[in-house]
Amino acid sequence: MNNFAVLSKKEFDQMIRELKIIWLPVVFMLLGLMQPISMYYLPVILEKLGGVEGILIDPTMARPDGSEVLASTLGSQFDQLGIIILVVAAMSVIQAEKVNGMLAFILTRPVSISSYIGSKIMTHYFLAIFSIAIGYAVSYGYTAYLFTSVPIPQAILAFVLYCIWLLFLITLVTMLSTFFNSPAFIALVGIVVLLLCRMTAGLHPLIGALNPAGVSLRATSVLATGSMGDWWEVNIIATLLIILGMALIIHYWIAKKKF
Amino acid sequence: MRLEINNVTKKFKHKTAVDRFSMVIEVNDCVGLIGPNGAGKSTLIQIIADILSADEGYILLDGQKISTKKDQIGYLPQYPNFYSWMTAFETLLFMGKLSGISKSHLHKDIPLILEKVGLEKEAQAKVGTFSGGMKQRLGIAQALLHKPTLIIMDEPVSALDPIGRREVLNLLKEIKKETTILISTHILGDAEEICERFVVIKDGQKIEDATKTQLLNRSQESAIYLTIRKEDYEWLNQVENLPYVKGIENFGDGFKISVQQMEDDAYRLLQHGMDRKIGFKKFEIGVRESLEEIFLALVVKV
Repeated sequence: MNNFAVLSKKEFDQMIRELKIIWLPVVFMLLGLMQPISMYYLPVILEKLGGVEGILIDPTMARPDGSEVLASTLGSQFDQLGIIILVVAAMSVIQAEKVNGMLAFILTRPVSISSYIGSKIMTHYFLAIFSIAIGYAVSYGYTAYLFTSVPIPQAILAFVLYCIWLLFLITLVTMLSTFFNSPAFIALVGIVVLLLCRMTAGLHPLIGALNPAGVSLRATSVLATGSMGDWWEVNIIATLLIILGMALIIHYWIAKKKF
Repeated sequence: MRLEINNVTKKFKHKTAVDRFSMVIEVNDCVGLIGPNGAGKSTLIQIIADILSADEGYILLDGQKISTKKDQIGYLPQYPNFYSWMTAFETLLFMGKLSGISKSHLHKDIPLILEKVGLEKEAQAKVGTFSGGMKQRLGIAQALLHKPTLIIMDEPVSALDPIGRREVLNLLKEIKKETTILISTHILGDAEEICERFVVIKDGQKIEDATKTQLLNRSQESAIYLTIRKEDYEWLNQVENLPYVKGIENFGDGFKISVQQMEDDAYRLLQHGMDRKIGFKKFEIGVRESLEEIFLALVVKV
């Protein structure tokens, strides 16, 4: 437990020195801004570009509800560009130390593999939550200002659900980072897997319930419709089990010294 | 700590790096693991440090598995690498804390150890700016910081300049009384200074395990080594015909003369030369072979 704290502190120090703790939240702040602003100006943009001929846009029709805007911040910004950025930010979480020998070196000390993996996942998960929370808060504020405000309990519930999906994302990237030595390859595989999950989640209710990305969809639906949908318990449990499974695979992989 | 290596084998895809290797190092012994490049030294060291796992065989520390004794081991990899964004002080603080030493102890000990390895001025410098030799010194500092009872070092001094080498060897000499030490090297002179016992490894197999004295005695050759003035080379023809001389060979800038009975014959030969007013530059009896040559012979022979 003590070593877990030492390793986690080191990770945080590193994030501060490398300024990751600043640029990642800033990126998500911008992503969070983009959705309400672009949706607010969409009618204007369309009008300017389309001119007066052709389709006529009724400004009162085009203005969506605040909850829809916030839902699309999660669904269209964070779940697309956001995923790519998070994967790139976390891709060398273990790979870098594997390649430069620090991993093996650290393990010659009385450090348990669990505290090593735990510190890695925990700190990067924390960074992801922190960044997304800032982006989400900015988005929430702008949505309330430009559109209508979303009830806070609903916004928080959606965020909590989204954090489960984030934990899956971070654990997956950590696992890939343990397997492969090339950061580019880790990022590629990670992004493809996550986007595939995201795309298949809405296809069938059963697939959705077993798919970690289903949790992300539920977060958006909490915002848009106020309901988490059927089988949400199954979905959350399945996701947590998948995360646990991946953590065990990482542990096995390092214990067998396959890195 | 007593280190027992039993029948350890490690195979990689195309080659067997360590082949049924066994040895025992008693408490506070110092052993030099010697071998040419690619002999399997580093692999064996990494298995002992529990970085690689052995395919067969086992290693015990005081009769227990290594994984339970990691706080007792000081390990120095061949190319120590640290976080480039940490300072030397932070690096030692980090490694020390991982070994379970309290912060207050570390704040007291780190300046001392940094001074011992000659890095006191660089304590607050980023490791990223360090040269290879400085990283090596830092590596040695981290291996000694938690006062381990077993020290395993892979080529500890090969990357250092002569001054650094001297400092580190002195440091090791200082702690060797209460520490079991295993160092690997391909430079014999270094091992020779601190270790009494040598294990030679070649192609993953142990081909020799002996103390320095044993080795020297074994290969001792009774011969006389002499250098004389050029004008006196004539005399060597007479020497060759002396009854007690077995042969003359060129050796370095002089000659190696084999005789039947070392001590008496050497005296007789010297007398013989003195009588004829031979200008001796050098007259030496006994061993001329250095450990270096013995090892070279061992490694090439097999």
